Amino acid sequence: MHKKRIVVTGIGPMASVGVGKDLFWKGILDKNINISLEKTCIDSELWDEFYLHKINNFSINDFGIDKERLNDIKEWKDGGSVLELDYLIALVKLALDDSKLNYNASNNDIGLVLAHENLGIMQFAYQISDLAYEGLIDKKRSDLSKRDFFDEFYRKFLKIGYDIQTFPDLFHIARVFNIRNYSLFINNACASGLYALEAASNVINSGQAKAMVIAVSDCPEIYKYIWFKSLGIYSVDGICRPFCKNSNGLVFGDGGVGMVVEDLEHARERGAEIYAEYLGGGFDLEGWKITVPQLGSDSYQKAMQKAFAQSNVNKDEIDLLCPHGVGSQVIDYYEAKAITDIFGKNPQKPLMTTFKPYVGHNLGGSALLETAILLLSLKNNVIPPTLNYDEPDPKFNISLVKEKKEVELKTVMKACCAFAGFNAAAIFRKID
Amino acid sequence: MSENAFEGLGKEIQQLIAEVTGKSMEDLRPEANFWEDLGIDSIKAIEITVAIERKYKIRIGDEQIPQIMTVGKAVEVVRQALEKKKNA
Repeated sequence: MHKKRIVVTGIGPMASVGVGKDLFWKGILDKNINISLEKTCIDSELWDEFYLHKINNFSINDFGIDKERLNDIKEWKDGGSVLELDYLIALVKLALDDSKLNYNASNNDIGLVLAHENLGIMQFAYQISDLAYEGLIDKKRSDLSKRDFFDEFYRKFLKIGYDIQTFPDLFHIARVFNIRNYSLFINNACASGLYALEAASNVINSGQAKAMVIAVSDCPEIYKYIWFKSLGIYSVDGICRPFCKNSNGLVFGDGGVGMVVEDLEHARERGAEIYAEYLGGGFDLEGWKITVPQLGSDSYQKAMQKAFAQSNVNKDEIDLLCPHGVGSQVIDYYEAKAITDIFGKNPQKPLMTTFKPYVGHNLGGSALLETAILLLSLKNNVIPPTLNYDEPDPKFNISLVKEKKEVELKTVMKACCAFAGFNAAAIFRKID
Repeated sequence: MSENAFEGLGKEIQQLIAEVTGKSMEDLRPEANFWEDLGIDSIKAIEITVAIERKYKIRIGDEQIPQIMTVGKAVEVVRQALEKKKNA
């Protein structure tokens, strides 16, 4: 079967730097990173606090989305709302609006891919913890058999527990936007966005849809912070310093990105603005540990090589590379080794820059959110420098862009080495 | 056993860690802390884990990795893993 050419025609980002493509890109160029100290309180008692690239004053009602459809979701949620779901709805809207695709007709040609690491889990966890606590203070264990306790507990959480399965989210979001075509929910940790892009591209190639809207997001919550802190990879001072001597970990970032990809012919027929062609992606699952990469393995290198093969691109053609760049000594070392194995030590080309110091680590949404910045860099021929790159560590044998650069860009690559060893790379090219 | 005298499995692991880190056998006392006493960073700690797993064909859990902060602890973790493997 002839492989279709897949192009990106809509970008709808949302992060601490700004909401919507134009404000977002302006926020990147202005370095408006908006880090704040996120405090989590239980009954007004401080539980813990962590630095976060934060979106302020988000309201789903500000996005011009059909109120009736939003109310249907609220009704299903028994009057409550789930912030992460609202984020995904907003991201789909931003991306569809940017693409100018017409989604109002129910026979539209659009499919849907969502990615998120833990949608709704925190509301679920809070409610469980709350009930467990209340149960503990109201009753002694001897008052209730374990069987009766389980029965009561499960009945209380029947709906919200059922709802943390991801298919209802696909249902809700597809319904808001009249999407009836192929749909899919993905979770490959930090690499989810690139897996989602590849999946969306495959759906178009299979002929199931002419265009796909992807939305990926994460809304970092306290339990993830506690986990990352215990692993020793959360920055204590709220500063992410990729590939530096003094790096001390990552900082979470709020938000995510929506992206529309479609068949090039379809995009041209409707006169769509095209950001870039998605030439192809490479994926390799290392499968060593969940939280640590296997130093000395060649899995990440394989992902990059597969991306070159899929894209029919030579490594020398890559003008700009955006690595994962989390600012953790071990992960940065692993990543730098893969990069230098592919491109050589201290390569002049490709230029490299990282975006987590701007938008934070958006976890499941990070790879595609940073791809959005990369594509805006490609379109505008501007490379935003890596912030906080004050003490580069020579042991990594790579150099990142330190000052904003205006340079003709043609082919760019996003790479990501995620938890559980989901290694991924994706290559994009400007269309003349 | 004197502070620096490993035997059998302990000696093997001490040698393995010496190869990975470039430290001398004398430096690698059982209780010497990798980070504080020997300047062994988190990167080397992962490399030690990789080398141990390969040599003994065992699996060290994610949460055990940060515990391996001395040669003595490394020996303990390997012993436990070998025992688990034997009883599996």
